[in-house]
Amino acid sequence: MTTKRKAAKSSKSSPKRKTPARSARTAFAMATNSEKTPKQRIAAMSEVPLAVCENDENLQAILNVLRNEAEPVPVRLAALQSLQAASFSVISFQPCRADYIATLRKIATDPDPEIRQRALGILARDKDGFAQKKLIQGLQNPDQALLPPEKALQLLSNDVHAEAYAIAREMVKNPPNEIAKQEALRLLAADAESAPIFEKHLRDKEETREVREISAAALQSINPQKMHAEARKIVLDKSDHDDIQATSLTALATTSDDTEAAFIDEELFKEVERLRSKGSANVKKSARRFLSKFGR
Amino acid sequence: MNVELEINNSASADARFVSWAPSPCRIRMTNPAGAPGPQVNVTLTCVSASASAGLVVFRRNPTGAFSSSITLPVPVSGATVPFFVAGRFGRPSVNNNDVKIEARAGTTLIGGIKLMVRIRKDANSLTAAERDRFVNAFAKLNNQGAGRFVDFRNMHTLVSSPQAHGAPGFLPWHRAYLLDLERELQAIDPSVALPYWRFDKPAPRLFTRDFMGVSNAVGRVQFTAGHPFIFWTTDGVQGINRIPLNNWAPTTQAAPGARTEAATLALGAQFSGFRTMEGNPHGTAHTVWDGSISDIPTAAKDPLFFLLHCNVDRLWAKWQRQNARFNPAQAGSFSGSGSNPIGHNLPDTMWPWNGITGGSRPPTAPGGALAGSPCVNAPGAQPMVRDTFDFQGSVSAGSRLGFDYDDVALA
Repeated sequence: MTTKRKAAKSSKSSPKRKTPARSARTAFAMATNSEKTPKQRIAAMSEVPLAVCENDENLQAILNVLRNEAEPVPVRLAALQSLQAASFSVISFQPCRADYIATLRKIATDPDPEIRQRALGILARDKDGFAQKKLIQGLQNPDQALLPPEKALQLLSNDVHAEAYAIAREMVKNPPNEIAKQEALRLLAADAESAPIFEKHLRDKEETREVREISAAALQSINPQKMHAEARKIVLDKSDHDDIQATSLTALATTSDDTEAAFIDEELFKEVERLRSKGSANVKKSARRFLSKFGR
Repeated sequence: MNVELEINNSASADARFVSWAPSPCRIRMTNPAGAPGPQVNVTLTCVSASASAGLVVFRRNPTGAFSSSITLPVPVSGATVPFFVAGRFGRPSVNNNDVKIEARAGTTLIGGIKLMVRIRKDANSLTAAERDRFVNAFAKLNNQGAGRFVDFRNMHTLVSSPQAHGAPGFLPWHRAYLLDLERELQAIDPSVALPYWRFDKPAPRLFTRDFMGVSNAVGRVQFTAGHPFIFWTTDGVQGINRIPLNNWAPTTQAAPGARTEAATLALGAQFSGFRTMEGNPHGTAHTVWDGSISDIPTAAKDPLFFLLHCNVDRLWAKWQRQNARFNPAQAGSFSGSGSNPIGHNLPDTMWPWNGITGGSRPPTAPGGALAGSPCVNAPGAQPMVRDTFDFQGSVSAGSRLGFDYDDVALA
């Protein structure tokens, strides 16, 4: 009787506070317990980053969840997210990094497409040569593709190599779909030799707004003078689309050098002033921004 | 009779910005014609451009209560008289110069000055004009990949990440990083303050095509026609990659799994406990997305990164105020100094602003010294970790960093 009372008193007077580290360990146990529901495990995963690199056993437990194709995909994705969050604590994550990368490479060929995409995304952003090779192989041989072509192109743009340019140019010529064409154009945006491609697409009024926008941005980067010349023509062309006029005005308004100066004259100002009052909402806004740059 | 007023003790219009922390100001007689004696009692009051515009309060001395007006004896000799001005908490400006201080001798207006109460706000609450000014300035800083933003992108890579992550210097480093970027934005448009993404709440006005964009099916962020971010370019590639994971809708839901503000502030009164927020909510807010922002090597390519970290910094600021942790020398304000990795101890200068490369520092140091400000002197060109703590000048007025948050009052 006395012992019980003592225990109760002790518990009242000194409640055990849950430190962040303790919470993480409790959550870790829940997250890696296959007998818990996926919902419980996923909720617990958000508290796990702190515990991931405490010791190798913890790391391997989370990596095992990620690698295990028998685990529910949402739980595996939650494990991946925990590892990504943990990776932001770089100093403590450093010892875990090699195993993390090895696991990502393994699951890059996972049966689940979302697992593959997430893994290849992380690797591509890390400029991982293994991932780059896989992505290029998939674009060259579609039956080996691990991702849709538009996603593969997007990920390759994290570390553009000349090899990717050739594939991207081909994709622009013969796109498997419209979004793949857009991603291919974006990837080519740093390729000076592709300037004629962008000029052609920017001028083509039948092209989609997205393609013309990407072309405008790319040309602005590769050959600003050419872009400013085209932008001027687009703004002065009353038959061209509002959207691309707005984009062209923005191109002229947001450069910080003087390359656009040669293409700014009273004719252009007059038209922009007209657009400021008569244009669509987006054109008006871009017109105001442009005129404000020149103190008008 | 005329008087001249200076904000932040500067005649420059670039210095006419205040926050919640008191700014040193001064007044002097420039034309004493009509003065009844050797000094004139001049009353300063604040006029706000509208009910939603900024308001300021005054005090005579470095400490003490503020009031909505102040009367100062101003000598006709032209000698300056000091006083202090601060934004009235809860009344930040919405436009530059929407606050005016008027000086009167009796009922006669004898001088005035316009200024701005420039405050970091919830990005979801910005007016369209505030949003557009911020976006325009940021796009100019990027300048389609050729602008100064290149340095900010290159400050946050895998190689440099031990300088800024996984150790106690995480919060101080990112505070300096944001401040440096914000000052560069203010050099383009001084009315701009960095807004924050309150990731533990839905943000319907932030994730729109007019602001931070909406993702397409492959994670490419889309904007309205003519939006300056259409030209956003990093590493030679145009565009922003970002898509919410698991069908999460940031316009109607908080970031899934991200620790709430209340839970973050309850991580404890000691820095050693609070700094675990680096994992959650900070790491969680990064990884609820797929795309550049979800990994350290590429996170800073996405402009949303800076709004995310502005909220992280706001949480630190709020925790500091809640626990009176502005003095880095005070136990509990920091942890492990002296035994932390390089760049994470109080007296350490921080890379890249210290320009130190090689050895335990990265091989290059992009960007040079930390940007100065026309309003304040701190934290200096090569700040130490300790220089980031007293952002309101609560411990030492000279430590004021020139920023404040809309919901973190003066301590």
